Formats: sequence, structure tokens, C-alpha cells
Amino acid sequence: MENILSVLVFFPAVAGLLGFVVDKNSIRTYGITVVAIEFLLSLWLWLGFDMANPGMQFVEMIPLIPDMGISYYLGADGISLFIIVMTTLMTLIGMASMGETKNIKNMILSLLFLEMTMVGVFVALDAILFYLFWELSLVPMLYIVGAWGGPLRVYAAIKFFLYTFTGSLIMLVGMLFVAYIYHSLTGVWSFAITDWYALVLPVNYQLWLFVAFFIGFAIKVPMFPFHTWIPYAHGQAPTIGSVILAAVLLKMGTYGFVRFSLPMFPDASVLSITPIAVLSLIMIIYTAMIAYAQKDIKQVIAYSSVSHMGIIMLGLFAMNAEGLSGSVFQMLSHGIVSGALFMLVGMIYERRHTKLMSEFGGIAAVMPKFALIFGIMLMASVGLPLTIGFVGEFLVLLGFYQVSPVMTILAGTSIILGAVYMLRVMKRTFFGPLDNEENKKLSDLNTRETWSLIPLVAIVIWLGVYPKPVLAPIDNSVKALLSFMDEKAITQEAKDLIRLSNTTKGGN
Amino acid sequence: MEKFVYIALFAPLAGSLFAALFGMTPRKIFVGIVGSLFIGLAFVASAVLAYTLYTTGTVVHVRMMDWIQAGDFNVSFGFVVDQISVTMMTVVSLVSTIVHVYAIGYMDHDKSFNRFFSYLSAFVFSMMILVMSDNFLGLFIGWEGVGVCSWLLVGFWYHKADKTREENPSISPSWAANEAFIMNRIADLGMLIGIFLLYWNTGSLQYDEVFAQLPYLSETVLVGAAIALFIGAMGKSAQFPLHTWLTDAMEGPTPVSALIHAATMVTAGVFLVIRSNPLYSMPEVSDVSFFIASLGTFVAFYAASMALVERDLKRIIAYSTLSQLGYMFAAAGLGAYWIALFHLGAHAFFKALLFLGGGNVMHAMHDELDLFKMGDLRKKMRGTWIYMTIASVALAGLPPLAGFWSKDAIIETAFNEHTYVLWGMLVLTAGMTAFYSFRQVFLSFHGEDRHTPLGFHPHEMYRFVLIAMSPLAVLAIITGWFMNSYKAFIYQIGDGVQYEMSEHTHHLATYLGLIVIFFAVSGIVIAYLKYARTGEHAFRRNEEKENGFFYKLLKNQYYVPKFYEEFITKPYMMISEKFWTEVDLKIVDATVDGIAKFLYSAGDKTRSMQTGNLSNYLNWMAVGAVLLLVIAAISAMIG
Repeated sequence: MENILSVLVFFPAVAGLLGFVVDKNSIRTYGITVVAIEFLLSLWLWLGFDMANPGMQFVEMIPLIPDMGISYYLGADGISLFIIVMTTLMTLIGMASMGETKNIKNMILSLLFLEMTMVGVFVALDAILFYLFWELSLVPMLYIVGAWGGPLRVYAAIKFFLYTFTGSLIMLVGMLFVAYIYHSLTGVWSFAITDWYALVLPVNYQLWLFVAFFIGFAIKVPMFPFHTWIPYAHGQAPTIGSVILAAVLLKMGTYGFVRFSLPMFPDASVLSITPIAVLSLIMIIYTAMIAYAQKDIKQVIAYSSVSHMGIIMLGLFAMNAEGLSGSVFQMLSHGIVSGALFMLVGMIYERRHTKLMSEFGGIAAVMPKFALIFGIMLMASVGLPLTIGFVGEFLVLLGFYQVSPVMTILAGTSIILGAVYMLRVMKRTFFGPLDNEENKKLSDLNTRETWSLIPLVAIVIWLGVYPKPVLAPIDNSVKALLSFMDEKAITQEAKDLIRLSNTTKGGN
Repeated sequence: MEKFVYIALFAPLAGSLFAALFGMTPRKIFVGIVGSLFIGLAFVASAVLAYTLYTTGTVVHVRMMDWIQAGDFNVSFGFVVDQISVTMMTVVSLVSTIVHVYAIGYMDHDKSFNRFFSYLSAFVFSMMILVMSDNFLGLFIGWEGVGVCSWLLVGFWYHKADKTREENPSISPSWAANEAFIMNRIADLGMLIGIFLLYWNTGSLQYDEVFAQLPYLSETVLVGAAIALFIGAMGKSAQFPLHTWLTDAMEGPTPVSALIHAATMVTAGVFLVIRSNPLYSMPEVSDVSFFIASLGTFVAFYAASMALVERDLKRIIAYSTLSQLGYMFAAAGLGAYWIALFHLGAHAFFKALLFLGGGNVMHAMHDELDLFKMGDLRKKMRGTWIYMTIASVALAGLPPLAGFWSKDAIIETAFNEHTYVLWGMLVLTAGMTAFYSFRQVFLSFHGEDRHTPLGFHPHEMYRFVLIAMSPLAVLAIITGWFMNSYKAFIYQIGDGVQYEMSEHTHHLATYLGLIVIFFAVSGIVIAYLKYARTGEHAFRRNEEKENGFFYKLLKNQYYVPKFYEEFITKPYMMISEKFWTEVDLKIVDATVDGIAKFLYSAGDKTRSMQTGNLSNYLNWMAVGAVLLLVIAAISAMIG
């Protein structure tokens, strides 16, 4: 149990290396077995996790370059725990639902390496280690989009790579600068994030560093106006690529804000509430409108992803436990729901080789199971109560209301605009007369597809009705984070805001 | 008692899940029967709870389990059975049971019979959550749940194609379903804001805790919360300007219209105001309450005016629902919460009866709804004719039927509050209500036979369906007689819902009642003279009048749907497309690509510097050195 985080990180990678010698015909079984074991391991992690402890658990620390303060330093808290579980789950389900794929061996091995980097990002507590996993995750994804994608795949893959890479380089400069300050203040080098937390920086330093980290994270999220790589990436990526991208890779950006920006730069974070909220509002409203104008189902979901990430960003800067816990919960919810939606689109694409809404219409009659599951995911996506989508969205809006009622009303249009573009997809694809001859021959979901979706449906309803097992540990860690920020903040304004946004007037 | 609470709540869910098991298989009659039994069970449980509450007066309050906890926020699944919720539970489960049985007959040829029952029972479950919850967020679960079920059921016949607005004002079932969902979502945002406001100022969302804090809240908060919650109510109860979805929702199967869009879901907004009566009774929010009453009165009149010229049987009934919801809001806004609730119950009975009768006609006429193609149906559909006449008399508000007592009390309240303009409009609307209800009865059941020449061969509904409808007919007649016992029952809850007429109004009550009756009878007489007679006085269409300004204005619903289409839907689509093609692709993305292209071409251009010629390199070196010197000099000057 002590080394479980290392096992979680390196098991898929080692299995991936061994996978090179596995026969092509059995690679699929091999891959699924590996990711299934990985998922069980992450469940074991959850089982062994002490829910009452808001701090880092399962910590492993091996100095790598002691002179530079770089070490192999891992740990997980309530915030990262569930993102890890979600990562392994979505990899498992994505791989299990994968249809006929050419060069399947390369695909599966890429996925295994990708899984290592993703888990690595969420458990790393050393900035250099974090950066390594962060950048390494680009490579398998570049390959997945570039090799299995649509006609524009090379353009999309390179755009994705260069864009996010540029952002992370600026983040790296920020990291090096933090380490430098740490050294000049304490006399020793350290890249351990927990050491960095102890740094109390002047506000202008905080602001510059906040911006450097912001660029790295914002491109990944992707925040407006850095979002234009995502329609290409989703548009060209194969289904599995989109699933992983939407479910996990985007969360690396928002996770970065929680792990670095908020605790390290509390004053700068408070100062940037308004600019970030404005960008988030643009994401929520503007991309929801763009989603409405799309003709391709997958693009609707791609843009809706950006819109929902706007809600997550807003919650991160609510500076209260309601908003922040809601935001982390929404990361999980968005991962599961958008992952499922991309899988569903992939299934219809495999049958008809088109994703254009105009090609469909009335297919609920021939694919009732497909329509039902799509409908459930749609409702979760628009935040229907008792589905997973409601809990996070509600808490974020509730939390941010204390910061700014007006902005919350604007952000709340998400529940209207989301329904507008999603119901349009539903109506144009599933309803209306079934008049296209091609569509009359469509077959409903097969066993493999059904069984890869049912767990997601179950989670959507389970965590919608009873979110406590997940929400409580998140909330624990979030509260610890907030009280840490409050203590550490040096300006009175920041302290006041954090206090104010955490108080209800009723006295309960 | 807890056990009955859970039975009332979960029996419909069990029914829904049971039906869902057979959702994708061909029609099985037992699915409908089992579904009806489950709802019937919920009714029995509700009735037991109501009886116990009536005799012992003990309110049952259960807390099932935690739901959302984050920060200080804590909401659980809790349910309360008090006089208000038990009224709703009984009415909802009773009407639902009847509609379920009715639907076994009505939907018998539909291939998606099983799916229909699954949705219908799921609706009842959501409605039960809505009325039973002990907190605002639980109410919101039900609120959204009924919205989704309404979406599923309005769009039940999803395979129908879109038509133009001239051909079919509701365009298509799936269009109408989306319209209803989206319009309700607009209102739901208001409701969410109200929830946020209450939470941050009281620290709770549970009704009793929130209401206990009300006296300590500032005026801004109270008014804000009252407005925000009422915006939510406006969506569900289809109050102007969020009303257009209700008439379009008539695209759903008729049992759905009867249950959801007449008896239960649309009254949820009224229920919310009644439930929040401590808030709306605060002196600080009296302006909001008066606005509610005025809007209600306006909608009552506005909807009735559109019903005057409508030819579609179901749409007339939908307008009348809208109009009656206006009456309920008028009463609630004026502080007569128990009268609003009583009218809500009475209305549920006679309106469901009217709709189900309408369904019988529709069934007989093979889905034809144009009143001008009917006439003289009473000879072929005797039972339905009797039912619809009873329901119409009740709706028109003639004694001794249900509608008279409850509606008259509302009109009297308006007089009692000295809001004479509202009183006048409500009286006038009562006359209009009588006119259009009987216009519809006379056009369909009386007058000349216009359907046989068009090739219709109507037949009466199944006997079991008619029998199933009979409880509604009885209730439509007798409900009003129990007004005083109901008053005693609801008064147990406390001061908030109590409302008494002043001594002065009490003296005039008889005259006020007579005025209302006079208007109602006049409406019926005019309708009779115009539409019921045969021979040379028989009804003839008047082309000239139908092309008149007012007729067309009413016929086109004051051009409100057209306005929404031209000024909201279309511009939204246009702006969205512009955002995509002009802004996102041509500005935001083009900038990114521009930077990349600039870097690339800069590299490409400067490549020619690498000539391999040493003297060229020396030249460039000199240029660089000068540049550096200049920069150093400038920075030295600034620094």
C-alpha cells in the first residue's frame, strides 16, 4: 500500500513496454486487462484512502538530484484521488468500447503510455516531475490524433502540440523562477510543491508568476481565447482520442490551478477573480452559442466541453468551499459525461461514417437504446438534478453567487444555452421522420457498446443521487486548502474576500 | 406514518421502472394495469395520510438521507406531509390514477404503449417529490423532473415532421417539447437565483428554517427572493410572457395534456407561491405580491380572449387552463392562499375531466381537433357529452358545481382587497370563460352535423374508460360543497394561510355572487344563440369577420410566438453563426495561425542570411552590434 502511487504510475508503462512483444491478435485483450487492473488498483487506492485526512496521503519521496532539490515525490489528497480514479476508469471504458481500429497494437501501447503520464500529472508533488509528465502526455496524444485522425489530422495534431507546448514552456519559466526565489530566500534548492507552499511572496511577484502559470494551464483548459485548438483536435481525433482528451487531459489544466495557482499565489488569485470570471463567462456564453451553430454533432460536444470548462473555472475562483468543491466535482462529472457523449458520437460515426446532423433524423425509432443512453447523458450534460451534472454545476453557481450575483446570473445562462444546443442535437438527430434510407438500416447498440456505456450511466445516476462518498473527501481537502490560503494571504483584501465568501448570514 | 409517506412517494417510481423494463417491447396491456395499480397505491397512501392529518393534526416530517454537502451547504432528501402538501398529494395521485386507467384505453393502438406508461409514472414520481419535499432544492428536483417528463411526453410522437406555423401553430411535437423545456429553463434560472439568495442569507434551504429567518432579512433580500422565486413559478405555470409553450404542449397525447398541462404540473408555480406564503406575506414584499395578483388577472383575461376565436378543441382547453392559473395567482397574490389552493384542487378535477372528454372526441374523430368539422356529436357520444357539459358548467362557474365556489371566492377576494380593477377584469373574464367553454361544447356536441359529410364516423369511447372518468365528474360537481370543511382543515397550519372576508364584503357576498352568475349565464346564452341552433339559425362561418383585425390578432396569439421567432430565435441563430464563422474562425483562430505563420515565414525569409559568405556575416554582425549599442544607450538614458 505504501508504494501504490508508484505502482499506479508505472504499471501501465511497464505493461506497455512488455506489450511490444505481445501478439497483434491478443493485444486488445492484453490492453484491456492491463487497464482493468490499473482501474482496480485505483479503486484500492480509494479504499485505502483516509477520508478524514485532508492532507497528502501515500506520500513517496526519493531524492533524485539532491543538489537541485529535485526529487521523486508523489502524493494524493481528496482532490486528486477522484481525478485519478476517473482517469483509470475512462481509459478502461474508452479502450473497452473501441471499435475496429487499424494498427490496434500501436494504439493500445500509446494509450498505456498516455495513462502513465496522466496518472503521473495528478500524483506528482515535485514541480519537475509534474512538468515531465505534463509534457510527456503530449506525445502519445500527438500520435493518436496524427495517426488515426480524420483528413486534417496532421494539422490538428501539430496545432495541439505546439499550442500547449508553448504554454507549458512559459509555465516552466515560472517554475524555475519560483525555485530560484526559494533558493535565494532559504539557501537551498527545492522543487517540492509542498515546500513552495510555504513561500510567502510579495504581491507583484505573485502576479507575474500567476500569469506564467496561467498561460500554461489556460491553454490546456482551454480558456477563451486559447481554445481554438480544441475544435480541430476533437474534430480530427479518433473517438478514443476525444474521450481521453475531454475527460482527462483538459482536467490537467484546471487541476493545475488547484495545485499551484491557488495555494501558491493566494493574493494574486483573489486579484484575478474578475478577469478570470470574465473569461469564464465568455467561455460559457460565447462557446455555447458557437455550439448551437454547429452542423457536426461532435463539434457541438467539443464546444460544449469548452462551455462547461468555463463553469469549472468559475468555481475554482469562487474562493469558498461550496464553489471549489463543486468545481472539482464538476471536473469528474464533465469527464464522465463528455467522455460518454464522445463515445456515443463515435458509435454513430462507425455506422454511418458521418457526424453531420443533417444526415440523420428520426433514428430514435431504429436505435432506441442508443437514443435512451444519449438522452440520459444529454440530461446529465444540461445539469438535471439527480444526475451527476447537477451537483457540480449547482455548487459552482451557488458558490460564485457570494462573489458576484450579476456574474452568476450570466453564468447561469449556461443551464438555458446548454439545453438549447443539446436539445437541438437531440431533435435533429433522433426525432422527426426517419426519411433517410441509409438510416433505416442502422443497427442499435451491440453488446460491447452497451456494456461499456452502462457503467457510465450507473455512475451518472449514483453520484447524482448520492454524491457524498466522492464529495465529502473533496470537500475536506478543499476546506484545508481554503484555510491555508486564508492564513497565507498577505493582503487584507484577499483575507476579507476569502472570509466573506465563506460566510452565510443565517448563523447556522 | 413514515411508511405511507414512502409508499406515496416511491410507488410511482416502482411503476415507472416496471414499465421501463418493457419499454422497448411491443404493447403489453398488463404494463398499463400494473402502472395504474402502483399510482392507485400512491393515492391510497396519500388519502390515508390526509385522513390522519385531518383527524389528528400531526404533521409528518421524514428525513431520508443526505444529498449534497459542501462547505457549510447541507441539503438532504427530506419530506414533509402537512396540510398544503397533502392536498397536492391527494389531488395529484387521484387525477394520475384516473389518467393512467384512461390511457390504457386511449393509447391502446400506440406501438409505444409501454414507454408511455413509463414516462407517465415517472412524471407522477417527480410531481410527488416536488410537492412533498421539505426544502427548496428538493422542490427543484421535482421541478426539473416534471420538466423532463413533460419534454418526453409532449414529444412522445417524435416521428412527426415539422410543419410551418400556418399549418400547425405548434410546428411539431419535438419542437413543442423543446420549446417547453427551454422556456422553463429560463424561469428555472430565476428560481436558482432565489435559492442562492435564500441560502446565503439564511444558511439553509429547508422551508421551516428559511421561514423562521425571514423577519431578520433585509428588504432587498426579501424582495429579491420573492421576485426570483416567482420568475421560476412563471415558467412552470406559463404566466405571461413565458406562456406560449403551454398551448404548443398540446402536441402531446391527450392524457398527458389532462394530467400535466392542466391538473398538476402547471399548478406547480401556484404551489410554490402558496408553499412560500410566509415570504409572500411579508409586508416588505407586498408590491411583489400585488404584481403577482395583477399579472395573474391579466393572464386570466389575456388567455380567455385568445380562447374566444380558437377552433382547435385542445388549444381552447389549454387557454382556459392558462386563464384559470391566472385566477389562482390572483388569489395567491392577494394573500388568499387557501382559496388559491382550493381552486387549484377543484380546477384539477374539472379540467382533467374536460381534457379527457376532449380526448374521447379526438379519439372518435381520428385526431381531428377542428371544432368546425364537428357538431351534433352528442347523439353518438352521450357519455362524453354529459361529462364535458358537467366540466364546462363547473369551469364556467355556475352553482352548485365546483368551479363556482372556488372561483367566486377568488373574485370576492379581489373585491375584499379593494382592488376593484382586478375584480372587474376577473368578473368579465368569468363571462368570457363561460362563453368559450360553451362555444366549444355547442360546436362539438350541438348544432348541425358537420362531420358526417366530411366522412367521419365517430364512436363512443370504451365503457371502462367512461367509468374511470366518473370520479372526476362526481368531484367536479361536489368539491365545492366541502369548501368550509377544507377551510377548517387548512387553517390548522397557522396564520399564514388564513384569509377571511371583511364584514362589509360578507354582507355583499350574495350580490357579488349574482353578478358573477349573471356574466356567466350571459356568456352561455350568447354561445347558445350563436352556435347551438340548427336550421336557419345554424352557425355559419363568417369570412369577413375571420379576416378582421381583432380576430386575426387573437387567432395569432397577439403575434407573440411570431415575435419570439423573429426577435429571439432567429437573431440568436444568426449571432451564433456569426460568432462561429466571423469571430472564432476569422479572428481568434486566425490570430493563432497568424502568429505561427509569422514565425514560420520569418524563419523562411531570414534563411537567406546564411549565405556561407564570411563578409556577409561580418556585415550582419556590425548591424547587430550597432543595434545593441543603441539599445544600451537608450536604456541608459531612461534608467
